[in-house]
Amino acid sequence: MAPPHNKESSLRTPLARVRHLGPAHSGTQDAALMRLTSAGLIVLTIAFVWLVLSLLSKDYNGVRVSLGHPIPAIVMMLFVLVGIYHMQIGMRSIILDYIHGHARDWALMANIGFAAILALTCVYAVMRIGFA
Amino acid sequence: MASTDSSTSAGRARPLSPHLSVYRLTLTMAMSIAHRITGAALYAGVLLLAWFLIAASMDASAFAVFSGFVSSFFGRLILFGFSWSLFHHMLGGLRHFVWDAGYGLDDPQREWLAMATLAGGFVLTIIVWSIGYAVR
Repeated sequence: MAPPHNKESSLRTPLARVRHLGPAHSGTQDAALMRLTSAGLIVLTIAFVWLVLSLLSKDYNGVRVSLGHPIPAIVMMLFVLVGIYHMQIGMRSIILDYIHGHARDWALMANIGFAAILALTCVYAVMRIGFA
Repeated sequence: MASTDSSTSAGRARPLSPHLSVYRLTLTMAMSIAHRITGAALYAGVLLLAWFLIAASMDASAFAVFSGFVSSFFGRLILFGFSWSLFHHMLGGLRHFVWDAGYGLDDPQREWLAMATLAGGFVLTIIVWSIGYAVR
C-alpha cells in the first residue's frame, strides 16, 4: 500500500478513499445504471416497436395526430431519453477501451455532446408536435 | 495505492494483456463483439429517429423528404439493419441479465444461449417486418 498523494491534506482513511471507487472511479455506477436502463429499455423497446408499427400506415397528418396523444408521446420521449442515456454509457466504455491520450478526452466530450443534443432535439420535436 | 495519474506512468512500458488475435474465435466471443457493434450501430441509428421526429414536427414537405428516404431501397436497408441491431442487442441484454442472475454460464448452456440469442434476433426482425408489411 503506497502512501496517499498528499499526506498533509488527507484526513480520509484508506477505506474511505477506495469505497465506491474502482480504478476508473465510476465503474460500479456505470454498471448499475447500464442494468437499470437495460431493464427499462426492454419494456420501452417493445412499446416503441409497437408505436412505430402503428405509424407505418399513416401519412404526415396521421403521424402528427398519433404522436400528439399523451401516451405515444411519453413512450417516445422515454424511449429516447433512457435509450440515449444507455447508449452514452456504452459508448463511453467503448471510448475508454480503444482510444488513448488526448483523443480520449475529445471523444468523451463529443460523446456527451452528441447524446445531449440528440436527446434535447428528440424531446423538443415530440413536444412541438404535441403542443402544436 | 498506485497513482492513476497518467504522467507518472508515461515513459514506462507496462505489460499489456494479450489481444484478441491470440484466441481461437468462439461463438460466445463473436456474440460479445456483435453486442458491442450493434450497440454502436444503434448509437448512429438514433440519428434516423431524430430525423423522423424533427421532420414530423415540421411541415409536410420536410416529412415527405424523410418518408421518401425510408421508403427507398437504401433507406429500408438501413431500417432493416437498425431493427435487427435493436432486437439482437435487446436479446443480448437479456442474456446478460441471465448471467447476472448466475445462470447460463456453464459449457453447454452458454452455447445454447448464444445461439438462441442469435436466432432470436433474426426471428424477431422477420416477424416485425412481416407485421410491418401486412399493416402498411
